[in-house]
Order: sequence, then structure tokens, then C-alpha cells
Amino acid sequence: MTGTGLNSAIAGLGLTEMGKVYGRSSTSLAAEAVRLAVADAGLGLGDLDGLLVSAGVKQDVNVNLAAVLGLHDLAVLNQVNAYGATAGVMVAQAAQAIAAGAATTVACVFADTPLKPKQSAGAAWGSGAKRPGAPRNLRGMAGWSVNSGATNPNILYALCARRHMERYGTTSEQLAEIAVAQRAWAVHNPLAQMREPLTVADHQASRWIADPLHLLDCCLVSNGAVAVVVTAADRAASLAQPPVHVWGYGQAHAPRRMHAGSDWGLVTPAGRSGPAAMRMAGIGVDDVDVAELYDCYTYTVLVTLEDYGFCAKGEGGAFVSDGRLAPGGKLACNTGGGQLSSYYMWGFTPLSEAVIQARGDGGVRQAPRNDVVLVSGNGGILEHHSTLVLSPHERGPHERTAA
Amino acid sequence: MSSFPLVERDEASAAFYDAAARGELLMQRGPSGAVLPPEARTDPDSGSADLEPVVVSGEGTLVSWVVVHQAPLPALAEAVPYVSAVVELAEGPWLMVRLLADDPAGLRAGAQVRARFVPSGSEEEPGEVLPVFEPV
Repeated sequence: MTGTGLNSAIAGLGLTEMGKVYGRSSTSLAAEAVRLAVADAGLGLGDLDGLLVSAGVKQDVNVNLAAVLGLHDLAVLNQVNAYGATAGVMVAQAAQAIAAGAATTVACVFADTPLKPKQSAGAAWGSGAKRPGAPRNLRGMAGWSVNSGATNPNILYALCARRHMERYGTTSEQLAEIAVAQRAWAVHNPLAQMREPLTVADHQASRWIADPLHLLDCCLVSNGAVAVVVTAADRAASLAQPPVHVWGYGQAHAPRRMHAGSDWGLVTPAGRSGPAAMRMAGIGVDDVDVAELYDCYTYTVLVTLEDYGFCAKGEGGAFVSDGRLAPGGKLACNTGGGQLSSYYMWGFTPLSEAVIQARGDGGVRQAPRNDVVLVSGNGGILEHHSTLVLSPHERGPHERTAA
Repeated sequence: MSSFPLVERDEASAAFYDAAARGELLMQRGPSGAVLPPEARTDPDSGSADLEPVVVSGEGTLVSWVVVHQAPLPALAEAVPYVSAVVELAEGPWLMVRLLADDPAGLRAGAQVRARFVPSGSEEEPGEVLPVFEPV
């Protein structure tokens, strides 16, 4: 398979400024990210024949982005949405389009602007960003549902975390280890919104959002945009940046079953998506050098590590302890700080950091090895999952470089 | 504002709220015999959309729970802190519900719970009666 045009690589990465970026629309940020990614690859906008678009919380960027960018002759154009799993699904779709000969050069872009001046991150979510200020509909069965009080992701993920704690003895201090490790990585990421070091005690003292989740178990909310350019691996080799080869991809979806026997919250579709991607890549979990795992909450990282097979089910709490995921630990994980500490761009947070690490561009935070970089995306309430296996090396019979 | 924001019925929910006003918990049953939550549209065991109303016991067990400190909606601002829970009814379905617990720290997965019925809205402006749950 080595060197055939059927394999794909990520050739360009574009990140706008992120965080409290006000006065710009999602579409404007998306257009900038695509321009940056194309330029990063050493290409021009006219080289694109594919564009895949992902909107975030605000859901206000779509296929009209093509016209904004002056792209009037595309072979592939679509809006993709599998919530937090979207980034991996988009790269897989781009790779499949390239392998099928449907397109040669596909930009994948995410943009979102849920934050407004003088509004808390929680309010950006809680008021329903589609219709800010509108009173919630309390008619019909929806009225009973609202009165359950379990109406936003914080609470629903907290229900999952509690279930894991009750079943396996997982503790809040173990979740804190994830937040602390990621913040230690973020200290060295100039793009990160939160760069002050954290301790487990800081995590424990942070206010309750939805017990068992503290504030520091929850991701940031950010405005911004990220894009990548995917092209054939052999073509990528002649472009401006070192190619980041796509070795494997997978996705799996498990809309929650609300019935006796359901494993919702304990087992996620990562358990199918991860092995599928690793099988395609010809690797096992022990080969992973860098894991960029979707982290809407600390708990998401823990349960994904279990479902990918880094440890047995129920042992995630012990696995993440003693600084295993921190700089200098045994597993380089969420090396940019993740969505907990760097920026919240859905699956483009782990994807963007994976590209940086695979290129060896991590600077002070560069992982000691980067031959195999695993990327996860998680959406819904642990219901949608995508996985990518990336590498600086061409796909094929792999020989690991010396440590 | 109340701990239980005012709920108005619509045509599709009338039978559910009529049952609640009588102190009964109304679910649905599919052709396979599976008992399903009120919002279900398909019996997953048979694939059928032909669901009939069924009154259930209101007895169940606690699957998971959360003590909510940050109100997710302005309508719930007066209610925090409150407990949201997943309960498993004796007949099988899982429900997302409000749990009235005096001692949230004493809750454990598997604990027995049962339905009780509370008014929504306020005395001046009453709404529909709502099923909620409490530890036995």
C-alpha cells in the first residue's frame, strides 16, 4: 500500500484566534481558517475541490461558506454533523472521497461563536444558543422533561460519571488527575485559554456544577475556527508541510437506550470505533505514542481510555492516577491541554493538536515519541464516536523509529 | 417561581397528565410486551410504532443521580440545588426524573424509589400534576 494514491494525509492546518473573540461571525472565522489551512499546505484556494463544513453550538455555518470563499467549482461539498464526533467523520469522508477519485483536495472546517461579551460559558449553553432569551417551552411532555432538571450536557454527563463511580469506585480525585495533567500540558501551549497550573486541591475546591462534576471537570466554551486540508498521501509529500498520514479511521454510534440492561454511561461506542480504526491502521493500543482524546468532561477521557483498551473496564480511575497522562508520564495525552484547558472546538481540538504533535511542532510540549497519534471524537451524551490513527510516516508495514 | 415550573398540557400529553392527576404513572406498551417511556415512538423489540398506554406500578430502583447546583435554565433557578436521577421502573423503562431526596449524600445505586405526584406552577397559577420520585 505504501505510496499509492489511495492513501490520504493531512497537508494543512489553520487555526484562527480562539476564546473570547467577539465581533466576528462563525462564517467569517471559518473562511479565515480555510485560508490559513490552504496557505499552510502551500496551496491556493483554487486547488480545493472539496469542502466539508461543521457547525458547533450555534449551528450557524453551512455550505454557503463555499460561495464566501469564492469556491464555484467543487466536486464534494457537504455539512457534516455527528456532534463532537464530527471531525473524525469529516477526515474519514475526505479520505474516502480521495480514495474513490471523487476529489483530490478537501478542506474540513469547524467554526463556532457561542460566547458573547459579559455572558458566562454556562449561559452560552444553557439558554439554548439558537434562540437566546426565549422562554423554554413547557408545554406537553417537554414540560415534564424540563422539570426532571436533567436538561443540559453538564447534568447528563454527571449522571454517567456517577454511574461509573457507583459501579467501579471511581472518585472525583481521580477525575481531578485528568484536569491537572491537561492543565500541566496547557501551560506550554500558547494557544491555550487556561495556562495557570492546577492542583487536585484546586479541582476539589472548584464549585459544583452538577455533583459529581466540579467546574474544573467541564470544558471551556470558545469562539473560533479550525480547518485541515486532506489530500492524497503522495501529493502531500510534495507540499509545504510534512504530511500527517491517515492510517486508519472508525466511527460508531449508540443513541442511548433508556431501558433495563442499558450500559449507557459505562460503555461508549469508542469500544467499537477505536478497535476498527486501529485494525485498519494495523496497530494495537500499545503502539499509541500520543492520545488526543475528546474531553468535553474529565470523565469522557477516562471512559474513552477504557473503551479503547488502554486499561480494563472499570480501571480508568487507577489508570489516570499518579500523573500518567501529565508531561513526563507514561502516556502523552491531550498534550495541548484539550478542551478543558486550551480551546473548545469540538473534535477539532484533539485533531489540531494531533497534527501539531505528528509534525513535531509541539515545542516545549512535544511528546517524546509521535510515530502513532490516536485522535478521538465524542458526541451526544457518550453516544457518537469517531477515531483517527495518524502518523508522520507513510502507511504501510511500519517499523518504529528508535526511541 | 416554583421549584416545579408551570407545565401546560397539549393534546398528545393529555392522557399522561390526567393519569398523574389521579396518582397514576402512565407509560406505553409495544406489541412485544416491552414497557416504554412516554416519549418513545418505536418498540425496539418489534420495530412497531403501534404503542398503547399502560399504567405502571411507580416502583423502581435508582440507576444514577446528580445534585444540580448550577441551574441549566432560568425556569429552574428557584429549584437549585435539586436532584435529577435516572430511575429504572420495575417494568423495565428508564426515566429521567426529579428525585426528592432529603439526604442526597445517602443515595446509592440500586436503592428503592417510588413515584409521587406534585403540582407544577404556583397556587395562584397552577399547572399540570407531575410525576417525580422519592427514596422508599
